[in-house]
Amino acid sequence: MQKDYKGPVEYSLEIAIEKIVGLLKEDYGISKRAIALLLLQDEEEIKALVREKETEALSKIEAIIEEISAHYIHPLTYELALERQAQVRQIISKAVTVKQEKVSIREKISRLSMNPITGLPLVLFVLYWGLYKFVGEFGAGTVVDFLEGTIFAQYINPFITNLFVRLLPWEILQDLFVGEYGVMTLGFRYAVALILPIVTFFFIFFSIIEDIGYLPRLAMLLDRTFKKIGLSGRAVIPMVLGFGCATMAVMVTRTLATKRERIIATILLALAVPCSAQLGVILALLEGNLPGMLIWAGVVGLVFLFIGYLTAKILPGERPSFYMEVPPLRWPKIGNVLTKTYVRVKWYFKEILPLFLLASVFIWLGKLTHLFDLVINLLRKPVEAIGLPHQASKIFLFGFFRRDYGAAGLYDLNKQGILTGLQLVVACVALTLFLPCIAQFLMTTRERGWKVGLGISAFILFFSFGVAYILNLLLSNLGVVL
Amino acid sequence: MILSDRAEEILERLGVELIEQKKEVHDAGILKDDEALKELVNLSYLKIKAGQFSLTDEGKEEARSCVRRHRLAERLLVDILDAKKGIVHERGCKFEHLLHKGLDDNICTLLGHPKTCPHGRPIPEGECCKDAKRAPKKLIMPLFELELNKKAKIAYLQTHNRSILQKIIAIGALPHSEVVLLQNFPSYVFQIGKAQFTVDQELASHIYVRVS
Amino acid sequence: MPEEGSQAKEKMIKIAIVGSPNVGKSVLFNALTKRYVTVSNYPGTTVEVSRGTAKIDSLKCEVIDTPGMYSLLPVTEEERVARRILIDERPNLVIHVVDAKNLERMLTLTLQLIEAGLSLILVLNIMDEAQREGVTIDARVLERELSIPVIKAVSTKAKGIDALKQGIKDYAERL
Repeated sequence: MQKDYKGPVEYSLEIAIEKIVGLLKEDYGISKRAIALLLLQDEEEIKALVREKETEALSKIEAIIEEISAHYIHPLTYELALERQAQVRQIISKAVTVKQEKVSIREKISRLSMNPITGLPLVLFVLYWGLYKFVGEFGAGTVVDFLEGTIFAQYINPFITNLFVRLLPWEILQDLFVGEYGVMTLGFRYAVALILPIVTFFFIFFSIIEDIGYLPRLAMLLDRTFKKIGLSGRAVIPMVLGFGCATMAVMVTRTLATKRERIIATILLALAVPCSAQLGVILALLEGNLPGMLIWAGVVGLVFLFIGYLTAKILPGERPSFYMEVPPLRWPKIGNVLTKTYVRVKWYFKEILPLFLLASVFIWLGKLTHLFDLVINLLRKPVEAIGLPHQASKIFLFGFFRRDYGAAGLYDLNKQGILTGLQLVVACVALTLFLPCIAQFLMTTRERGWKVGLGISAFILFFSFGVAYILNLLLSNLGVVL
Repeated sequence: MILSDRAEEILERLGVELIEQKKEVHDAGILKDDEALKELVNLSYLKIKAGQFSLTDEGKEEARSCVRRHRLAERLLVDILDAKKGIVHERGCKFEHLLHKGLDDNICTLLGHPKTCPHGRPIPEGECCKDAKRAPKKLIMPLFELELNKKAKIAYLQTHNRSILQKIIAIGALPHSEVVLLQNFPSYVFQIGKAQFTVDQELASHIYVRVS
Repeated sequence: MPEEGSQAKEKMIKIAIVGSPNVGKSVLFNALTKRYVTVSNYPGTTVEVSRGTAKIDSLKCEVIDTPGMYSLLPVTEEERVARRILIDERPNLVIHVVDAKNLERMLTLTLQLIEAGLSLILVLNIMDEAQREGVTIDARVLERELSIPVIKAVSTKAKGIDALKQGIKDYAERL
């Protein structure tokens, strides 16, 4: 059968546009021609807009589009892109000249950063100096020690405690504000003396590598691996952020393209990515115990890959596709870095501070109503099952309120000398995998909904103890002494 | 044995309907007294029973080859000879008859063993496609097969996947643009003009380039 | 339009800054707006949009920094929001910021914006990198070909900002 053929196709596309423009009567803010072009490219949102404003016109327009599409082999989007590009080329040929420059040093460094042989060691170098040394040792160590140990412990806390004890004669209320887990002495202190400096240093680090243009290169190096766990290279940004603060990272998963990717990233952030606060304490606990540290890192790393791989298999949906522009490497601009850090810290603080204060209130309520004793009793059995003394059950409960809180409790327990090396490693693994902090839980439910949030939590609760149980069984039966 | 053009047309039609669309039989009504039909029956490509066609195994093989030649001809017309779109189907019909056995493999190799015709329908694989892995000397190939640091021009895009197409258009990887592949592991990095992009294999397999 | 004393001066023009990601839109936005910057999610989405006000001599402007977009046909949520701003908020003036060394890829959006009937100023940003890479651009020829004002800039070094402000004033006078 022969199609009736209406002369030069470029001409007939123009006619189709004219006809559509003629049918559009309403005002769309932008020209009718632009609306017509978007309709020709089958753009849903614009179609909905036209349907809403002038329903009768749309059916006529759709008939025109169907007719014109039949004349083209490729989607009209492609045809239009080609036409526009030809137009651009003409203008460029008149206004722009390009001289071929030699490959610059900057470009050579850029290529080295993307070549896996040199690029992967560079990743480790950046993580070691940026995350471990700068954020961990300096930010979470030196600066926190000063703020928390000196400023808060010696000046602010005694002053506030004094103030509240005088203002509030009731002990219960004193507990709420200035008790062991009080809103001021714990919630506020934590947010200001611990989290604020860690997060600030983390954001300085993050803003610098962002300003340099390192993140797309990192994404490029990791895309292949991330594909195996259902994510694309783009997920590198929330994952790196997760080592700073997983709560914020969950929020940043918004930038991932599909719902499937967002869910996988959220699960992994809740399960297997320790935040900087928790990481700091755990590294301190396992310091000098190299085999223990390797076992801990190995198990958590394996869980990350295994669960990612599994969820990617189970969750339906399209595989993510990856494309990113790689900007040239640039020197970081101090002004830029500081502005970005400031904006992020400010935003973060506004989001997080209320959650911290809320956590303090929850702990107060839990203690007041003896709900805590109940939960601690419930946790006792599983804690003993993974080979830990029953005192450790308290740690897990508090770990839910602050991730590092559990780790800090573990620190105290260890100081009392009631943990063997093996128990310590098992406890560290269990605690890392265990439920994220309450702030992250609330953020997860806010971003992904209650169903997903609770589902993830239930899964993690059982899974973390399961892994710890197997690890304990394995290590004890192999007779490993740590 | 060289078939008449008419017989090839019929075989192609049957190839599409009986093999690709998996219809059992085809109504012979309109073609009843066609010369070409007799030709096909004589070659035992075709059986007619109670006014219905079915293909023999030999006939199926031949029909598949007709479909292949037609779609290759379309690719050649659109991508290389830059024919205008509306006429591709008719011209493709004429052109395919010139692509006799063996010639189709040459064209297929020249085009880089394309998987689909410009309309997005699959091109049946030929011997050359199976050999391709052993002798990868091609003029046109998907971007991910391009030699590193060698200049090439984008020849065409596979356009059937709309969301991938839009991404490729967004990064400006359109036909006639000069492209250099800088890296192919762990992801693909290429340069167009002064800009560099990184993509995964899936995206890179939708961009076909011609080595200059 | 005749001057109507203080009332005419009080009139605000609305400016949207658009362009693909990584071309220095935000830096330009910060250079134009000194005060009252608010960052908030665009209604119904999770995409952040910054708004601020600028005062160029006596001319008051509301400036919107849109999320990165490659074309009027959106692929991501960011692009959808950027287009929605152009359609719903009806800016008087649109500043299209491009990476000068990749003009060929960037101009397709310029053409689409012109086609959409928007009043446009084209800013060729990151000119320093373009020069380093051996790219020379004749802005006057571009102006003639596109029939819109074209300004060269290095926003991180505050180059071209004055010319841009002048361009905005020129636009307001023609209004």
